[in-house]
Parts: sequence; structure tokens; C-alpha cells
Amino acid sequence: MSSVTLTQIKKSFGSVDVMNNIDLSIEKGEFCVFVGPSGCGKSTLLRLIAGLELVTSGKIVIGDRDVTHAEPSARGIAMVFQSYALYPHLTVRENIGFGLSLAKRPKAEIKAKVEAAAEALQLGHLLDRKPKALSGGQRQRVAIGRAIVRNPAVFLFDEPLSNLDAALRTQMRMELTDLHRKLGATMIYVTHDQVEAMTMADKIVVLNGGRIEQVGTPMELYNKPASPFVAGFIGSPKMNLIEGSAAEALGCKVYGIRPEHLCLSTTEGQWEANVRHIERLGAETILHLDTVVIGPLIARVAGEEVPPVGTKIFASAIEGREFRF
Amino acid sequence: MTRRQLMTGLLATAIASIIFLLPFIFIFVTATKSSQEASLLNFSLPGGWHLWDNFIKVLQARNYMLLLAYLNSTIITVCAVAIMVLCGAMIGYLLQRRSSRWNKIIYAMVMVGLIVPPAVVPTIWVLQGIGLFKTIHGMILIQVAYGLPFSVLMYRNFVAAIPQDLDEAAIIDGAKPLQVFFKVILPLLKPATVTLIVVKSIAVFNDFTHPLYYLPGRENVTVQLTLYNFQSQFETQYNLLFMNILLVTIPPLIVFIFFNRQIVAGMTAGAVKG
Amino acid sequence: MRKPKSAYPYWFVLPGAVIFTVLFLAPTVASFWFAFTRWDLYSAQFIGLDNFVQFFKEPFLVQGLWNTLIYAFLTSGTKSIFGLLLAVLLTSGIWAQGFLRTVVFFPVLVSTIGIGITFAALMHPTKGLINVGLDQIGIAGPGWLTSASLALYSIAFVDLWKGVGLATLIYIAGLSAISPDYYEAARIDGATRLQQFWRVTVPLVRPATVTVLTLSLIGGLRSFDLIWAMTKGGPGFSSDVLASVVYKQYQSGFYGLSTAGNVILFVLIAIIIVPMTYLFSRREVHQ
Repeated sequence: MSSVTLTQIKKSFGSVDVMNNIDLSIEKGEFCVFVGPSGCGKSTLLRLIAGLELVTSGKIVIGDRDVTHAEPSARGIAMVFQSYALYPHLTVRENIGFGLSLAKRPKAEIKAKVEAAAEALQLGHLLDRKPKALSGGQRQRVAIGRAIVRNPAVFLFDEPLSNLDAALRTQMRMELTDLHRKLGATMIYVTHDQVEAMTMADKIVVLNGGRIEQVGTPMELYNKPASPFVAGFIGSPKMNLIEGSAAEALGCKVYGIRPEHLCLSTTEGQWEANVRHIERLGAETILHLDTVVIGPLIARVAGEEVPPVGTKIFASAIEGREFRF
Repeated sequence: MTRRQLMTGLLATAIASIIFLLPFIFIFVTATKSSQEASLLNFSLPGGWHLWDNFIKVLQARNYMLLLAYLNSTIITVCAVAIMVLCGAMIGYLLQRRSSRWNKIIYAMVMVGLIVPPAVVPTIWVLQGIGLFKTIHGMILIQVAYGLPFSVLMYRNFVAAIPQDLDEAAIIDGAKPLQVFFKVILPLLKPATVTLIVVKSIAVFNDFTHPLYYLPGRENVTVQLTLYNFQSQFETQYNLLFMNILLVTIPPLIVFIFFNRQIVAGMTAGAVKG
Repeated sequence: MRKPKSAYPYWFVLPGAVIFTVLFLAPTVASFWFAFTRWDLYSAQFIGLDNFVQFFKEPFLVQGLWNTLIYAFLTSGTKSIFGLLLAVLLTSGIWAQGFLRTVVFFPVLVSTIGIGITFAALMHPTKGLINVGLDQIGIAGPGWLTSASLALYSIAFVDLWKGVGLATLIYIAGLSAISPDYYEAARIDGATRLQQFWRVTVPLVRPATVTVLTLSLIGGLRSFDLIWAMTKGGPGFSSDVLASVVYKQYQSGFYGLSTAGNVILFVLIAIIIVPMTYLFSRREVHQ
């Protein structure tokens, strides 16, 4: 049974269409990531599901209920904002229990639920502090705690890790994945970071210009990108995409090969190239090559033993790893 | 601190004391004198200490009118400022959060309200029409109408500093519009509210012109009206007149001591943006 | 299709809007009708421009108009000059700076009527402290409030005394917004203190000057209570301004004429303040 179903969603602001013909179904218990460059409509789509914006046309079903015109609070969703949106004048306890107290639940029930959520998120000792006195990671957890106590059918996350530093982000990625496993709830997660998408998602939805480019598991997107856009968006460093006459010579409009799928040789190969720039990352090295025939190429090789800048080398694509669009 | 700064400071303090403090000392000294001494209007120390005497006499004057005036002024100030704060915050919030073609009209009204002096006689006509002329209620609403533009402008600027995510989080948590406003927005506007309360309380309490027009009559006197009326009554009793001035000066002095920072913030915020 | 309600319902505006419209806007609009009538609050009879004709024929009413302009420009000009000088002094790190700021500002918060009565006593022609003081050093002080040619200026002085603190406060806020880098750059370029004041402070503190001038002009054109407390417009009509004329005509029962005075005051404020804000905001853009 699917948990969230979007049918023919369209959204316009004035005369500008920002979402067009979105059809999507997200299964129960799935961790679904909306990814795309800024302005692609991923946040708008999330806000449409949350009910913070209303669709221009189309239908939104959550569980088995049509919620297209329901109030946000009646959709069975909870949301974690990019800025966390913690109420600065309330303590952690009051922040987590805010929705319950608005719903006029008994005090004992609120207390029990808040404390259970806080325990699960290791916030027990911080309950009487104000958000100001918390670290970024702790604030993040409070925001998640506020979502948990609502016991929603669907969790919505709007770029929740983008305000954290790199180390904390990796840790929170793991915590969120753990949380997803523990709760077994449906989660929809918006990010512009393809690494987050790849590492956390059961299903990735790649959006571009208000349309869905492709839907699939992380490895499906990596191995079978449906378009040059998806091919270029997933994977780091970015796939080499060759267009124009060079691509036509290779039998397609756009020819793609990932940096990790290039073989280098000093003696022979597909394309003759010059080493222009070297980025050493320790375990691997990124080479920027200038080829004669197909222009610049990026190659990624293991280890640090690479020819110096200015050397002439040859690069070839690994059989079966090329993409022709 | 350089020697130059010290010397300038000493000189400035001496001059400021003469120019700005002397009148206040004069008020105090005269308020402690007997009526014969006070009528000389000079600056000598009082021969006898009549502070308490004068205080009681001023209170008893005209059948405890000053007490009634303090009561009326307090009621007007408290109610007017409370309504001003609430209405101003609601309008400022809506103005900042929801864009519509009405916004321009509201801004225009705010500017008109800040600049244009009220048309007094037509206002009396309107007040008579709705039965609020010479009433405390009418005076309260008048003060609200005159103070609202400043309040709206100030709140609008403060609401802009509150991220809209907070409203949305509350909406998802199931808050109705009034709950979003009262449980999330209004508590976060507290600094603006404190400043507004302080600045507007002083303004309403000190207002003389509008009670003069809209609150004639003995039963609804305010503090400023009483002071003005005492001026003619106590022509020969300067000690009581100045005791009255002293009493009128003390409330703002107390507010000033405790809320100096908020007053400065309110006066300059309203001014620089106005 | 049912539309969900906005989280920002329009009725939030309603309570304030009703109060403002009924008690401020409606009377203001109505005044443009009543100014053209003979009016006793119950019945109004249209008399065309008669009120305005009468206004400009009566010398003492015309004098009220001139006095309003003199008073407004005099007080706003002096407040702006002394406010800036005091602000410069009180941001230069002198001894007792905080105390001095407090002392200068406090009169702003005190009852205007109280201040008016106090200064009327201090300016008493024979017993007043000012003339007694002047007498000590051999000068015969004038009748500050009893001389027809002096009364308006004496009141303007008290207005300056009471209001300069607010101007100073605004200038202090304006001065502290000027980056010290400018002064350091000017010093490296060899500017003297006086040159720094004229070439750096005065131009860069302009937004504060605009605010001070606008606020004190609006206040000055509308001012009533200080004048009323000190002279009631006297001696004769020598210190009457538009606002006191409006009150006097109201007291005498000439409601139409009083309202015409009010309309003249609107127009005066509009033709002074509107071009001023337009001019200042435009020049700001061009800088």
C-alpha cells in the first residue's frame, strides 16, 4: 500500500508554473529523497504535501485519505525545517509538546510522550533549556523530537542538515537513517546534496525545472541514469558529458563516462591527453586531462601514483560503462 | 580618558547642570516652601520644610481632585496602551506576513496618521454622534487612534525579524491563526512591546491637548488638565502649584530610571525609520 | 472547491482599522466639508469660502499663520543644530558622558504643561529667576513673556530646551552608525578636527538630520500645549499659532471657522512635509 500518492500535481504562482504534471507514489515505510538543484521545485513539492502551499490542480492522497484541501495539521504529517523553527521563547520540553498542548491533551500524556521522545533522541538532560542554549545538533534533535510526538504517518524534512558543519552532518545522516529504521515511518527528505540522497534514500526523486527527471533507487540512478541531467547530478566528481561533433562521432547526441570508469595508460588508449591539473585526495587522485579529440576529461584513479602535470597519456572508457543519450 | 576629555566633561557638566537641572531643582525647592516664601519665586533654600504639608494640601485641593485625576489618567493610559499594543501588533503582523493590494493603503494611512494633526471639532462631532464625548471610553479610543500608526510601524519592523518558518511549524502543530499569533508571535515581540508600552505610556499620560478638547468637565479630569486648572487657581500659592508639577514629573522619572534602554530604543527606532 | 483558510486572516486588521477610521480618518475627511460651513455641531450651513476669506482678512489670524511658520522653522532649525553639537560632544568620550546624556534627554519625558508653568515662573518679568540673575550682573532683563515682540521666541526657546534631548538622541544614533574608518582615513589625509566635522560628520549624519528636521517640523507646526500653558497666545495675539487659533475659535463657538483653521494647518503641513520628504529621499538615491 502506498503511503503518499501524488496525481497530476500542478502548481502556479500567478502566471508562472513551478510544478507540472507530477505523478509520484511513495510506499509505506520508504525513505524517499527529493533531490535537485536550487529552484527545481523540490521544496515547493514538499510544502504542497505539507499543505503549506495549495496545489493549483491535482490530487494528494496520504494513507487512504484525500488531503488535497486539508489543513496542514489534519494531514498526518510532521515537518522538520531547515532552520529547525524552534520556538525561541519555549523550553525544549514545551517545544516538543507544543502540538499536543494545542490539541489540549492531558498533561500527564504530554509529559510521558515528550519524555519518551527526548529519551530516544538523548535530549533527556536538556528538557528545561531554551533553544538558544543548545548546539546545532541538539537543536536538530529537538526539531525531530517535535515531529516524533505528533506520531505522523509521514515525516517531512526540508534540507535539515544544511546548517550543520561537515562532521556533524555525517553523524546526523547516520542518526536519521537509524531513526527511520527504528520508527519504520514514511519519510520524505528534501536536499540539494546528492551525497545525502545516495547514502540515505530507499528511493530518490530527481527534480529539475518543476518536473520529475527520474525516480529510482540510488544504484539505479547511478547505473542507469535516464537523462544527461541525472547522469551529471548523481556521482562525484561529476560524470564527463561530451556533446556536439565529438559525441556524434561516438554515435550519440550526448556521450557520458564517469571519472572512475576511465582507464589511464602511458602507452596506448582511446584518447590522447595531456595532464593539466592534479588533485590529490590521499586514497584517490583526481586528474584533469585535456584531450585532443573530445576536450577536457576528469579521471579518478586509486592511490597517489600518477604522471606529473604536462605528461602525455592515454585515457580509455571501461567497456559497458559508457552512456549514450 | 585624556585630560582634555576630563576638562570638557567637567565644564559640560557644570553648564548642563545650570541649564537642564536648575529648573528641576527650582520645582523641588519651591514645592517645599511656605506660600509666602514661594511667592517670591526666588531660588533660596526654604526657611521651613513644608514638603509633606504641601503634598497633603495639594491632594485635598478641590475635594481630592488630584487623586481622581491620577485614577482617570491611569485608567486611560493603561487601557489605551493595551489596545494600541494589541491592535498594532495584529496589523503589523498581517502587514508583514501577507502581501496584498491593501498593504499600500494601510501604509498610506500609517503615514497620514503620523503626520496629519487631528481635526478636533469634527472629532467632537463624531464622538457626540456615538455617545463617547466627555467619556473615559471615548478618550481611550482617541488615544488608540492617534497612537496606532506608530505602533503598527514598529511592530511591522519587528515581525520582519521573526522567521516565517516559526508560523509554519505552529500551523503544522495544529495552531489556529489566533494561536499562532498569541502563542508564537506575540511572545517573540516582547522587546518591541516593552518599548512601546514605555514610550506610549509617557506620551498618553503627558497628553494635554486631547483631554482638553474631548474630556471637558470636572468628573473626568486628567493629571495634565488638573495641573493646567491649578495654574489659575493657585496663582498666589506657587508652593502648591509646584508640588503639583513635582507630582506630575515623578511618574516619568521612575519609568525613565527603570526603562532607560527601552525608551532610547523606541525613540530612535521610530524616528530613524519614520 | 473548498479553500483552506489563510493563517493570516484579514480580520486581524479590523479592530484597529475601525478605531482609526471612525475616530481619526472620518473626522479628517469631514473637516473638508465643515470648513466650508457655518456650523454649530447640530446643523451646518454651506457658506463656500467665507471661513477662509474671514481667516485671511483678520490680521490676528494671519499673524497666527506666520507665527506657526516662524515657530516651526525656528525650533526645528535650532534643535537640529544644537542636537548635532550636543551629540558630537556626548559621543567624544568626555567625563560623565552617560550622566550628561540622561540630563539632556530627561526634559523630553516631562509634562509639557509642567515645563511651561515652571518656565513662566522663571521668566517672570520682575521676580523670575532669569531676570533676577541678569539684574545681578547689571542687565535689565526684558519681559520675556509679557513683551509682544518677544513672547513667541521665549516659548520657542523653552521648546528647544525641552526637545533638544530627542534630537541629540537621534543624532547619537546617527553618529554611531558612521564607521570610524572614515575619520581615520580623513586624519591620514590630514583633515583637522573642524574639517572632519564639516566634511565627514555633517554629510554622513544626513539621515539623522532629515529625521530631526521632519519630526520637529511636524511637531512645531502642530504645537499647542506649551504655548497654551505659557501665554495662551498672548500678550494680545502675539504668540498665537494655528493650533491655538483653532482652539480659541472652538471655545467661542465658531466651529466652522475653527475647522477651517484646521484645514489650513493640514495644507500647511502637506506643502512643507511632502516636498521635503520627496526631496530628501530623492537626493539620497542619487548619492
